[in-house]
Amino acid sequence: MAEARAESLAANDWSGGTHPYRVGHRKLGMWLFIMSDTLTFGALLVAYSYARFASANWPTPFPFQPSIIFSTTMTLVLLSSSLTMVFAVAAAKRHKRGTARKWIIATMVLGLAFVVLHAMEWIHLIDEGLTPFELPEEWAKAWPGASPLFGSTFFGITGLHMFHVITGVIYLGVVAARIKKLNDDVEVAGLYWHFVDLVWMFVFPLIYLLSVDYHGVIK
Amino acid sequence: MVESKLKEIKLWNMVLLGLSALSIGAAILTVASDRFKAGTDDVFLVLVCLMLALLFAVPPLMWAHANGMLKNPFADEADEGTAAIEAEAAHGVHGGSNRENVIVWGGLLALTAIEVFLAYIQIDPTLMLIILMGASIIKAALIVAYFMHLKFERLSLILTIVPTLVVLLCLFSILFPDGFRLRTMRPAEPAQQQVEHEQ
Repeated sequence: MAEARAESLAANDWSGGTHPYRVGHRKLGMWLFIMSDTLTFGALLVAYSYARFASANWPTPFPFQPSIIFSTTMTLVLLSSSLTMVFAVAAAKRHKRGTARKWIIATMVLGLAFVVLHAMEWIHLIDEGLTPFELPEEWAKAWPGASPLFGSTFFGITGLHMFHVITGVIYLGVVAARIKKLNDDVEVAGLYWHFVDLVWMFVFPLIYLLSVDYHGVIK
Repeated sequence: MVESKLKEIKLWNMVLLGLSALSIGAAILTVASDRFKAGTDDVFLVLVCLMLALLFAVPPLMWAHANGMLKNPFADEADEGTAAIEAEAAHGVHGGSNRENVIVWGGLLALTAIEVFLAYIQIDPTLMLIILMGASIIKAALIVAYFMHLKFERLSLILTIVPTLVVLLCLFSILFPDGFRLRTMRPAEPAQQQVEHEQ
């Protein structure tokens, strides 16, 4: 009996079926989606880095206070939402559906807080005159010859990330609403949410921390 | 398993080992060649060859391990089947404890704090970039291993996901030397264009 079970356990890794790699097919599907999305964000970030390396000049318009403090707060909010998501998955595994739902709602609240903070920053930059195609005049004077690509890379990358966060909040809402009927869906939703956090771990240093305005150029 | 199928598997594994040896040979040839300048291009070429060699070697090594050909000095369980069942029952499958997850979260916060502090004290940009990328990779590894539970999954899943992404991201990065060259090869008249644009 034990031998047969051992053999079936070993066979399941590569045999596919409904338990490929011995995770559910839903979980494997989410991992494959995450791999493809990693490459999407990877392509965008590499393109941004390439454009920046190749430019003679590039705006660095984020003063440490308030911009970097603000975006650090956003990072903390997103990291905390990852922690609440882990607690939700742990509760779901122990079949405590009510607790899991509460932790999922906490994750959604933190995710929405992130979106609100990020939208505030977008509005501030748009008010200064930043568009995806052109730098504000003040910046063009402060960094002569700077590439106008700052706007497109900033809005493109952070916009796509914000879209993922909003989609994630809606997805989590559906999972929380249907929690009585679900099996491993909380864990699969958790994978997506952690991926969103992971992308921000790269976006935050590359776009914000490398664009700090040390000389007080922007008033 | 059928005898012919076993032979076929053995043949393909030998082919893969051969490709792995060829890749190592290519890396050695690059380094030993007269035109090797140890610039970014050469380093990328050598690294890609070595990575390919490692990738080609993985299926034969795993097959050899499954057939007991590799001596593992750390294994005290002769039977792989019971070892798998015991590992599953013991700790791994349900992931880390709550305390472990909070510690990982604390580590992520600490790394973020270090990154922000480095931004505050304004260090050399190239050094800043290297440290930031290193810290981000460590943060990503922590999130993937603990929060996304990958550390506790089957080795086959880990090996399917991680090397793919690493190789593909390195392939993206092959374009960077061109970016550096663009900056030095571009004709330098930014001030002139600025004036024309304002008029």
